[in-house]
Parts: sequence; structure tokens; C-alpha cells
Amino acid sequence: MLLCRAGMRTLHRALPVFISALLLMSPRPALGQQTDPPDGTPVTSAQVSGLELTRLSPGLQEEIGKIAGAPLDRAKLRELAARIEGELPRYVAAVRVTPDPAGGARVVIVVARMRDPEHQANINVKYNVEEIKIKGVPDSAITAELRAEMDAMKGKPFEPEQADRLEARLRAIFPDYDVSRRTMKGDQTGLVTIDFVLTRSESSRWLQFEPNKSHAFYHTDQGWGAFFDMPIGSDNVRVSPLVAWDTTEDSIEEISGLGLRFEARKIGSDRFGASLEWSWYEPSWRSSTVAAAALNPGVGLYDTRTTFTPMVSFAATRHLRLSGGVGITELEPLETFLSFPNSSMANVAIGSIGYSLRHKDRKHGDDPRHDFEAALTVRSGMEGLESDFIYTRSIGQAEYRFEAGGHQLLVSGMAGVINGDAPLFERFSLGDAHTLRGWDKYDISPIGGNNVAYGSVEYRYSALAMFVDAGSVWDHDAQRKFRISTGVGVHAGPFFMTVGVPLNTDNLRAVFTIGLRFSGLGFSKY
Amino acid sequence: MARRSHRHVVLATFTLLLWAALGAQAVTVNRTGDAVAVKAPGFTFIKGEPLSRLKDGRSVRVDLDLAVLPKAGAAGVAQAKQTFVLSYDLWEERFAVTLVGTPSGTPSRSAAYLTSAAAEAWCLEQLTVAVSALGPLGKDVPFWIRLEYRILDGDPPPAANSGGGYTLQGLIDTMSRRRKAQDLSHVIEAGPFRLKQ
Repeated sequence: MLLCRAGMRTLHRALPVFISALLLMSPRPALGQQTDPPDGTPVTSAQVSGLELTRLSPGLQEEIGKIAGAPLDRAKLRELAARIEGELPRYVAAVRVTPDPAGGARVVIVVARMRDPEHQANINVKYNVEEIKIKGVPDSAITAELRAEMDAMKGKPFEPEQADRLEARLRAIFPDYDVSRRTMKGDQTGLVTIDFVLTRSESSRWLQFEPNKSHAFYHTDQGWGAFFDMPIGSDNVRVSPLVAWDTTEDSIEEISGLGLRFEARKIGSDRFGASLEWSWYEPSWRSSTVAAAALNPGVGLYDTRTTFTPMVSFAATRHLRLSGGVGITELEPLETFLSFPNSSMANVAIGSIGYSLRHKDRKHGDDPRHDFEAALTVRSGMEGLESDFIYTRSIGQAEYRFEAGGHQLLVSGMAGVINGDAPLFERFSLGDAHTLRGWDKYDISPIGGNNVAYGSVEYRYSALAMFVDAGSVWDHDAQRKFRISTGVGVHAGPFFMTVGVPLNTDNLRAVFTIGLRFSGLGFSKY
Repeated sequence: MARRSHRHVVLATFTLLLWAALGAQAVTVNRTGDAVAVKAPGFTFIKGEPLSRLKDGRSVRVDLDLAVLPKAGAAGVAQAKQTFVLSYDLWEERFAVTLVGTPSGTPSRSAAYLTSAAAEAWCLEQLTVAVSALGPLGKDVPFWIRLEYRILDGDPPPAANSGGGYTLQGLIDTMSRRRKAQDLSHVIEAGPFRLKQ
């Protein structure tokens, strides 16, 4: 009764399973009791065994639906079986016809999945499964159905294909987890145990840790500088020692110093987190900054800056984050600078709203990837916090990255405004290894500005990059000048090298940066 | 006298190191009947990420490609390509190999209880080029051999910067991924060789 097609010779591995299925599906009547119903006999019932009908095309489902009630036509049934095999290449189909006591014919199309010859090539199929363990999720999260599936594998020969299916099921049931599988020797000789280890994927987290800003590089105008942020901890809690050495990144200060940040991103719930950061920095001041500060009595230089920042965060959704806290900063005056006779406090209330959308559902590494991150942060120095500086600093930032194959497009922008008299570390600057590449921040505005507008577009192919940066930093009462730069770069892992050229200037020169940057998408939140 | 003996020691050490380095990469070509086969003890592919996968009880599929070239870097005039499935016997702690993709009806070839070197050698043994396919290169004319492996299975690497950017751990991972990527394919060329009539 089996359909024999030339191609089925290759399916010899599937035949034992297939024949067993046939025998199970079609109880054999006693000898002499049964004759095969001839073609033309009315078909009283027809069914497909071993496969959900919905997996077949609607046309084929309809054809199968027409079998019952029609006269028996074996050629037509063989054709339908061949069509099933055509639609599902990894399955074999056979037709079984049995007589109906009422004189009709019953048709069963038996479908079985072929075993993957490559899985059969795994030599461990000769061992029986002793135990299957799922680690990384509580036992209560394992459904009865899943447990039954695991139990069904125990005591039977190890089937890699079955283990693959269970792994796929775990991925489907726990989409927020990365699933890995390890098969090992069991406790008894000749038995194996299978461990599925589930680890919470970073992209599924409600709250993200503060983005790493570690870097070490040389800038033609600004020299060497480095900042290291070295997180140590677990999935939910970490402590990061911070070390800065002559870095000018994102600030008009050139700071050296130390810090310590503690972060917890699950306090009772995945939605609540907290952080505590202490830092002590000793800025060095460029001569241009000292000269500009001397002309601007509202801007004072300081010898050291010590900051303590406790914050709490709440994730309204997986993408939307709200944070609030205070920043308590003490500025020790420069002995030679008279505008700060005593230490002063720059205490602020901080509020931030952040949105992030990370493409986590890529099935393959080659799938296009979109990442978007945006944040609006307001820092307000107020008398209620005993601050000597009364101001409000608001900044909105956004970054978008698209990746497909070796191509990457990065678009970023920010806009900020300071109202009131803010300390120097709060003032905006552009023109370093990260922003307005090709310009030097100490030429643009040696004491920064209280307004900023900036945009950057960068295209990367493999390790090569080209970019256009444009922006302006200015004071309320000063004229705004928009600056543009362009350049090329090389990025290989954390290593980067860029050559930036300012465009709208008579002083055409190249600014070169080379070094390491460990930061990815995302900006310092506070 | 002492200086001369030091020189001998240095020379002997250098020769030994050179011999070991060249020996590790050595490729030899043998003619067996109408087929050309190669041996390349230094051409290893059971290492790194694929080896970890095997030791986790998974199978690994590898494509091996042998090409005969008229000169170094040239296009191949004859080629043989086979796909193998490797696995690691968890109890015997030995490797097994199956040649897959054989023509329908012919039994698939396999070998078991092999060390990693023996498993790699077995794969290369299955990779032969007919002398008749070499054309003029089969008639005492120098030719080159290009051997390539590609590991076809492997867990996709995690997306770069999927978390909070690069960290020191990220740096280690990045470097490891590069190492892993190198482990997943490799090409060597060797020659010149001649087939004696």
C-alpha cells in the first residue's frame, strides 16, 4: 500500500517510523476478512494523520476535503500524497484505504516527518537521556505541557532534533531569554543529561544600566585623554569604579579624578531602579578658558568638583523611562581666582524622561537592525536645595542607528538651553572627538555656551566611515554661528580613527583623533 | 669554544622551530589510482567555537573545498567539495564524522572513535580530485593546492552593543568574536607540486 516514488529511496531512515505509524493508524483485520475496496467505491471518511491540515495550502486542504463522499480514486489519492510531499519537503505521505463495514471505503493519508540525516549523524544518538534540566527560570514558570515534553524524552535515545525542537519551544515560551543547550555525560555510564540554560537578554530589560562611556584617545588639539568606567556585578546590580585622566569629552573641563557608581535596576520589580554616584574631579583649565572666564565674571573656575548624585528610575513601559533625583556638587575655588572666595554648592533637582527602541527580534545576525534612543533631561539649581547657582539646564538628545549587512547609518542630534547662571561643568560645548569633529571646542567657545544645537550624520561601511557634523554653541546675548565639518574615519571594534575638516572657515585644517572608545548607543542620562 | 657551542644551540633551536612551523603547515599530495588526495596535518578546523559546540553534544557541519590551481592565487582548474557532519562522543571522548550529501542510494560514509586530528585527516581523505580533471596539470606540470574549510553551523554572535555599549567584558567578547569568526573559515594554499607520470 505504500506509495513508492523514486525519491523515497533516500528516505530510508524515515521508513521505520513511517511503517510504525501506518501500523498504528490502521489496525490490521484478521486474514480473510478484508479485501481492498476497488476504485469507484464510495469513500465514507477521509482523514490526514500526523499533520495539522492548516499547514497545507488552502487549495490542497480543499482537495482533501472533497475525498469523502466521492468515488474512490487511488491515482488521485497518490497525486494528493505527492502534493503534500511537494509542499512539505521534509515529510513523506502514504495512502491507506480500508473497507468500511457498510460497504464503503475509508481513506487515511498518513504523513510523517523525515528524520534529519545530519542529526542522525550525531554519534550521541546511541545514548539514552537520563535527565533534562531547565536552568535560569523558576520551576513554576515551566508549564505542565513543557514538563510532559521533557519527561517524554527521558529514558529514550538522545534525539538532537527533538532537543532542537524543545530549545525552539523554550525560545518561544521565554522570548525575553537567551537559551543555550549543553548535553553532558549523565551520572550513569551510557546516559546523557541535557541542560537548557536561560539567561535574561539585555534588550528585554525594563531598565538599562548607565551607558558605558569608556574611552582613551588622542586629539590633535586637545591631546591625550581617557575615561574608564569598569562595571562589576550581576544582572541587576553593579558597581562601577570611574577613572578620568585629562579627558575633555562632552565638557569644557579637562578633568582627572575618580568616582564610584552603584546601580540597581530591579528593586522589587523590573520597573524600579536606583543609582548612586560619587565623583571627585580636578579640572585643568586651558589658558583660553582662563582668559575668557576672566572677562566673564558670571563664569568661575574651580579647583575641584565633588558630586554626589542619588537617582531613582521607573520604567513606565519597556521603552519609556522616567528618572528623578538630586545632584549635590561642591566646587572648591581656585586659590588664584578671586571670584570664588569660598567653596560653593551647585545643587540641582534632576528629572529625565527617556525613550529607547532596540531591535531585539532579529532572527539572524544579517537582519536589518534599528536602534533609537532619545532623552530629555532637566537639571534645576534652586534655593530650596541650598544651591549657590540658580539655573535650569534642559537638554534633549536623540540617536538613531540602522544596520544592514556591513552598512550602518548613524544619525544623532541634540538641543539644549541654560537659563540662569550655571557653573562651568554644566555649560554646553561642541568640538571634540565626539561632536563637531574638525573643530576645537576651545576655539569655538573656551567657556562653553548656554545654548546648543547639533546634528550629525555618519555612514559606515564595514570599518570605513564618513560623516558630516553641524552645530552651534552660543550664549544668549552673543551672535550665533553655525559650524559644519566633515571627515572620514575607521572603526574596528573599540578602535577608531577620524580625520575631520572644518568647512565654513578660512582656516582649513585637519583634526585627527585616534584611540579606543567602548561606548555604544546611548548617552549619559543625567 | 663556548661561543661556538652557543651558536650551534641557537642554530639548532632555530632549525627545530622552523621545521616545526613548516611541518605544521605542510601539505603533501598523493596520487591513488586516478585520484589526487592531499594530507595537511596543520589544516585544523576542530578548534575554538566549533569544538565547544561539539563538546556540548551538538553536531557541526563543515564544508571542505579542495581546488587545484595552475599557480598561486589563480582560479582552480579542478575542484572537490564535500560536506561533513562532525560530532563528539560524550562518553568515549572521541570524534565521529559523517560525509553527507552523497548521491541518493549510496550509503553515507562515516567514521567514529577518532581523535580530532584523525577526524580532520579522514575528512581530507574523502576529498579527492580525479587526475583526468586536471588536464595538463596532471602531466608533470607544477600546480598548487588551495584548501578551504567553512563551518556552516554555529550560534549567531550576539548583536554588537546590544546592551549598554562596550565594556571591558565587551572588549573581551569583541576580540573573542573576531577569533571565533576566524575559526569559522580558513583558506590555505600550498605548492608547487608535480604529479609524476
